[in-house]
Amino acid sequence: MTEAIKIKNLKKHYGSHLVLKGLNFCVQQGEIFALLGVNGAGKTTCMECLEGLRKPDSGEITINGKMGIQLQSSSLSAHLKPLEAVKLFAKWNKTPIDNTMLDALGIYELAKKRYYQLSTGQKRRLHLALALTRNPDILFLDEPTAGLDIEGRLSLHKQIRHLKAMKKTIILASHDMTEVESLCDRIAILSKGRIAFIGTVDQLNKTVGKHYNITIQTQDKIKKYECDDIEAALFPLLMQYKKTMKQF
Amino acid sequence: MGAFLYAISLQWKLDIRSKTILITCYIVPLLFFAIMGEIFTSVMPESKYTLIQSMTVFGVTMGSFIGLPPSLVEIYSSDINKVYKANGVPLYLGLVLTNISAYIHLFIMSILLYITAPFFFHAEIPEHPGIYFASLTIFIAVSLCIASIIGLAIKDQAKTSMISIIVFLPSVMLSGIMFPIELLPKAFERIGKVFPASWGYKLMADHTIRFENLLPLIIILTLAICICRMLVHKIDK
Repeated sequence: MTEAIKIKNLKKHYGSHLVLKGLNFCVQQGEIFALLGVNGAGKTTCMECLEGLRKPDSGEITINGKMGIQLQSSSLSAHLKPLEAVKLFAKWNKTPIDNTMLDALGIYELAKKRYYQLSTGQKRRLHLALALTRNPDILFLDEPTAGLDIEGRLSLHKQIRHLKAMKKTIILASHDMTEVESLCDRIAILSKGRIAFIGTVDQLNKTVGKHYNITIQTQDKIKKYECDDIEAALFPLLMQYKKTMKQF
Repeated sequence: MGAFLYAISLQWKLDIRSKTILITCYIVPLLFFAIMGEIFTSVMPESKYTLIQSMTVFGVTMGSFIGLPPSLVEIYSSDINKVYKANGVPLYLGLVLTNISAYIHLFIMSILLYITAPFFFHAEIPEHPGIYFASLTIFIAVSLCIASIIGLAIKDQAKTSMISIIVFLPSVMLSGIMFPIELLPKAFERIGKVFPASWGYKLMADHTIRFENLLPLIIILTLAICICRMLVHKIDK
């Protein structure tokens, strides 16, 4: 396998605060690689350094291929229409408009709306379409499902899997372990600007074990449960609450 | 070139949709013209000789100082500037596009005033239209460059509006378009000369382009372009 991205000793300061403390990792071509971490761990800064949106203070970044960046949901003019944005991006990048891709992402359905009228999910789909307009080899997705409902998340997961099938390399920043588990080949866990773990999900489970905290909140109380096997634990719990709900 | 022209036409449409430019470049200047044109020509009949120039100075100053900065704040103080970087487009493109678009809107508004003022208020058409429009071209460019400094330097929409009004009011009041500049106290007359409106008015109201009226505008324009370059460079960092 060839390396799509390689970074060596990447460092970045904001004022006196060292956000990235010398990161080293590489991403293979065609894999989905996740940067996982809590808010403030350095995921977005790392992504923005890789994307060229921020200049790192030191270190080496090697990118082999054309990049596509799914930007956050506040990065287009409020009155721009989705197809106008697609046409503008295609013209800037001198690439043809891929109607099949736009259709698959449901962009034509949004044609008459303005950017500020789109829902969070629709904005995410549009930003993904705009990133794909460049026909990239490497795709950067920064918290692509943040703020989406379950239907929106599943739809976007389907798109991401489809892109992997097309041999695209995908770098995904997220703080959602479930999402990362279901989508990614390898993960890097960032903690306070350092890589705390890098490897596959199976390797992570073997290293730290699996442990789940379940919180169920009803109108009058909150109950917390802990378990190691979520499938075995969740079903009896839900049945128990179903009975309670029926009593009302 | 195709991408650039498409981006300009898109920006032009966005300006109309956002309504800020529509209000500041067309609705308010034309309303001001309708009301003040009647008052000016009734109270001072001789104002018909300079009505087109004075109303144009008001409209251009309003459209650029109040209309342009919010568009720049929207681009440069949000994630929109990342769109340029992510697509390998130079960061100054947003500044260029918004300026060209606003320039076209202001020129259209000026032409509307030029055509309608003689019809409604028997205003005198400038003796040398070529000189008038050349002066107008320079004046719009200078006004937009100063407005660009406000839009690039201030990161907050509310503060931008406040600063724009602080610059707009003395610019209009002390330019000589409302009453002869000779009637102003000397200190106010000097302050008025800091703003391009007074020089733009003189340039457009004259029968010829005088170097002494043109020079201050060229100096202000050069300084403003340098400051805008510095500000874009700072944002890029």
